[in-house]
Amino acid sequence: MLEIQELSKSYGKHLAVDKVSFFVPDGQVGILLGPNGAGKSTIIKSIAGLLRYQGRIGIQGMSSRSLEAKKIFGYVPEIPALFDALTVREHVEYIRKAYSSTITDEEVQTLFERFELADKQDKLGNELSKGMMQKVSICCALAIKPRVILLDEPMVGLDPQAIKELKKVVLELRDQGVTVLISTHMLEMVEELWDVMFVMDQSHIIGSYRKEDVGEKDLDDLFFEMTGGEKR
Amino acid sequence: MRALLYLTWRSFVNNVKRALKKPVTLILIILLGVYAVYVLFMVGKLVTELRFDSADGLIALVSVWTIYIFLSDFLAYSSRKGVIFRQAHPHFVFPAPISPKLILIHSAWMNYLTSVVVSLLFVLAGVTVFSVEPWRMALFFIVGCILELLLEVSVMVFMYTNETLPERFMKGLSLGIKIFLGAMTLFLVLYFRREGFSLATVSAFFDWPGLQMIPVVGWNIAAYRLILTGPTNLNMVCTALYACTVAAAFLTAKHMRCEGAYYEDAAKFADDYAEMKRKQNSGEMVTGIGEKKRKFRRISGDYRASGAKAVFYRQLLEYKKERWFIFTKATVINLVASAVMAFALRQNVGRTEVPQLFLLGMTAYMTLVFSGITGKWETELKSPYLFLIPDTPFKKLWYATLMEHVKAFVDGIVLCVPMGAVWGVSPGLILMTILIYTVLQANKMYTRVVAQCLVGDFLGKTGQDIIRMLLQMFIIGIGGMAAVAAGILIHVNLVFPIILFYSIIVTAVMGALASVRFDTMEQMN
Repeated sequence: MLEIQELSKSYGKHLAVDKVSFFVPDGQVGILLGPNGAGKSTIIKSIAGLLRYQGRIGIQGMSSRSLEAKKIFGYVPEIPALFDALTVREHVEYIRKAYSSTITDEEVQTLFERFELADKQDKLGNELSKGMMQKVSICCALAIKPRVILLDEPMVGLDPQAIKELKKVVLELRDQGVTVLISTHMLEMVEELWDVMFVMDQSHIIGSYRKEDVGEKDLDDLFFEMTGGEKR
Repeated sequence: MRALLYLTWRSFVNNVKRALKKPVTLILIILLGVYAVYVLFMVGKLVTELRFDSADGLIALVSVWTIYIFLSDFLAYSSRKGVIFRQAHPHFVFPAPISPKLILIHSAWMNYLTSVVVSLLFVLAGVTVFSVEPWRMALFFIVGCILELLLEVSVMVFMYTNETLPERFMKGLSLGIKIFLGAMTLFLVLYFRREGFSLATVSAFFDWPGLQMIPVVGWNIAAYRLILTGPTNLNMVCTALYACTVAAAFLTAKHMRCEGAYYEDAAKFADDYAEMKRKQNSGEMVTGIGEKKRKFRRISGDYRASGAKAVFYRQLLEYKKERWFIFTKATVINLVASAVMAFALRQNVGRTEVPQLFLLGMTAYMTLVFSGITGKWETELKSPYLFLIPDTPFKKLWYATLMEHVKAFVDGIVLCVPMGAVWGVSPGLILMTILIYTVLQANKMYTRVVAQCLVGDFLGKTGQDIIRMLLQMFIIGIGGMAAVAAGILIHVNLVFPIILFYSIIVTAVMGALASVRFDTMEQMN
């Protein structure tokens, strides 16, 4: 589970996130929605431990800053940044060592095949396109075998096949009891994935929905209902 | 730690493999290595000629190095810019279950390598040039590599992981160090200007007991004095204080709590560093990491132009929005260089009867040597819009670079007028030198484009610059020789119009060749 309590973050005088709290239980997919500048990226980076913040972030009941929590936490940032001089395979190998991951060579091979990276294993980080980098980033996060995974705009730059595969992976993770949080603008891409959604605007969570409470209602209808915008 | 070592080792292996695949890179590395050995050899010879080749001479060098490296490290670490983090760190390393302190210590491996290499160079110089016994230099190396590195790591950990000292205090500390370094440099310059530069004056300065009493850095120097010249009461006490300080600093750093709060600054640094590298690679002038976000002025006005002319007016609009209009760092460099050379060479130039040739020589030197300063024109080539404009490639080249010619003319005034005025060169010849500077700058731009077309990415940015410089020196050299011949045989002042007209013709030819680059975007790759 992922637990955010009274999270606040300021950049100088600008309050980017103001006392935000939410909770994603085990085996559920949470979606973080909001217009540009709402504070989503700040929340994501705070959870990943990349920012100083006030409040508490818990991963499976542990502080997100603790090494134990980090061991079970996977992160796919919005813009992938690979090591220039490391091959695709070496990125996964590094992850395996850093996280003491139990992932086997066969499982890594399967991951590469699912994301069409099998023939790119020896390519260096700076030889890959943005889409390929995103696929490597996803594979690395999955190689951790996380209990909580954070995906920041994961579909951006991916080809249709990879998007389809990623959706399958998210559903598989959910079935395995993994907590998933996805931050995205692409509502139609997460329509069939979400269990709980949080809508952010101007540094606050302005509302949340649980899928079982809204029936067949469209995700974008719910979003615009809450933000006051219009669906086109 | 195992993962971090794997990361560094594999990156190193892959970089070596990549370098070996490109023989040009390897040749460049070997040439640079040979050049470095040559420079070191010459410095050694100079030291011997100056009768500086004793333990006292080495102490002077080591003292200067210790003061500057200690304070500049302190400065870099206090502003959290002393360790190089890449953009992949916030993605793969910071979220990993590795102690943030360990990540910090590991990431600074380049800094340790520099310290070890410098210590080795001192050892080598100590034994070969300064005639110090090998056992002393071995001890020097051990102290340099153990105590100094321990202190450096401790200071680094303290500065990065410390969360209690307020930001204002840290900024004040940085400012204080900068002022101290500046004052120290000024003091050294004034001292040696007054006393003259000799082993006696250098020794007198570095023998001053107060120097060894300066906390930490002075004590460090005292430790080196103890090793290199033997014990005195002062250096033994100060060395003991130094050892205690290192131990205390190490224990403090070891017990400091660190949960990775510095990741925010490190991630910002990684972005700034990547931006700086990008600028460097595209030939822009870079003065530091994390330059402040540029502010633009609001201006009103309307420009109407069609075809390639629109590029010029767009650039003009952009420059008008700039804080300093067309005045750039190149203008400042020209002004400073001109002022320094004007006064430094005043007497030498005055002894000759041809100050105008000095002016011309300095101008040509500044044009040829200073590269890497690009304006807006080079970014034009990266924009697909330029290639979509329905106009001829030559017009596109002309209007994309016209503003650069105006800038070069202004920079030429800044460079030539102070030197010309101080050296008593006639206004007509100063004007002609300014025009020559402007044309040579244009020539440099076009030759660079031609060099890019000739060698492409094969030799990289540095290779392109070398080819550009050789090409320009060769072409301008022919005109220069013709001008010199005319100057000797007919009249010295004939050098100016000949060089000017020859440069204009050559530049026009280069421009015509370079305009090919403005035809299609494909050539960029």
